[in-house]
Amino acid sequence: MINPLIVNIAYLMLLSGLLFAFIRLTKGPTLPDRVVALELMASIVAGTVGVHTIETGVASFLDIAIVLALMAFLTAIGFGRFLELGGPRDD
Amino acid sequence: MIGFLWNLLLALAWATLSGNFSGPSFLFGFVLGYGLLALLERELPILHGYSRRLPRFIMFLGFFIKELVKANFKVAFDVATPLWYMKPGVIALPITAETDVEITILANFISLTPGTLILDVSSDRRVLFIHAMFLYDEDEVIAELQEIERRVLEILR
Amino acid sequence: MIEWIVSACILTGAALMFLAALGIFRLPDLPTRMHASTKAGALGTSLIMIGVAFAFMDVAVTARVVAVVTFIMLTAPVAAHVIGRAGYFVGVPLWEGTVKDVLRDKYDPKTHHVESGLEEVEGPPKPITYGMAECPVLQERDEFEPKKSDPGG
Repeated sequence: MINPLIVNIAYLMLLSGLLFAFIRLTKGPTLPDRVVALELMASIVAGTVGVHTIETGVASFLDIAIVLALMAFLTAIGFGRFLELGGPRDD
Repeated sequence: MIGFLWNLLLALAWATLSGNFSGPSFLFGFVLGYGLLALLERELPILHGYSRRLPRFIMFLGFFIKELVKANFKVAFDVATPLWYMKPGVIALPITAETDVEITILANFISLTPGTLILDVSSDRRVLFIHAMFLYDEDEVIAELQEIERRVLEILR
Repeated sequence: MIEWIVSACILTGAALMFLAALGIFRLPDLPTRMHASTKAGALGTSLIMIGVAFAFMDVAVTARVVAVVTFIMLTAPVAAHVIGRAGYFVGVPLWEGTVKDVLRDKYDPKTHHVESGLEEVEGPPKPITYGMAECPVLQERDEFEPKKSDPGG
């Protein structure tokens, strides 16, 4: 099995990445910034699920990663349409 | 495209018939199927040019992964160091791709190489508007993008 | 041996994702943030998934990994394009270090029409094959008219 130290280092990097993305999500001056941060958070969580799959050896966790990737894409498309139909603005 | 599907199907048939669902067996079936399709393509017009297109596609994948890694390092370096070395800007890239499929695939590949991001296509589909991150020399950036376009169209046509 | 490959994949992927998050936190405006986030994020997820495939060495898992990686590689640029375009046209300000912007004055926010800037140079536009805005059903389709027999026979 894989070295637990490496798994923990990977978790640490992913979690600090999640933290940075979350700061951008709360701070982000405009709505598109927040959407980008949300999308990055989804893909970081998908990566975390992948690392967890390797750590536990349960292959079924991969399905969660698939669903997460799908949902993130749909969210991005939805927000994009929403923003664009809203027209120009200056917030 | 249809040739690739046939090739996959043949590889699957090989794996099924030999009763061995491992990776190497599948790969061997794929190679056998490729040889078979290369022999058959003269007779079947639907497979035309498949035997030339697959090696080109694999070479393109190698080129693309090289570009991807190289450019990712460039962006990563700029993010990790405290000073900004980037010169972002929006440029227009005239394209020769015509149909929806060609433009979509081209745009996907250009967007995936870091340092360039597709913003929009002009309404008459002759120009892609691209946000480039390292715009030191615009002609050089456009030449690199046209190289990618040439390779993509070589595969698709 | 396999363990080393898996470790390398996981660590590189996690590092890329960390850099993407750092980029999204530090970079100054929306398009540059998307440069950092979308591509490094997609490559990071793909690398971790490839690590999963190497760790299991199993056909079913590998098939799912190939599905996830293909899906991410297909959708990440599309999502980036949609958000970048929407953000640009909504009027998100660009960084003051931006050296060039050729798109801003070519876009009409009312009709969503984008000029190419080549209209005068290259004459009439290329015939459009099929676009969403220009539905071929609604236009004249003279190719379905019966052709006149040419006089030569």
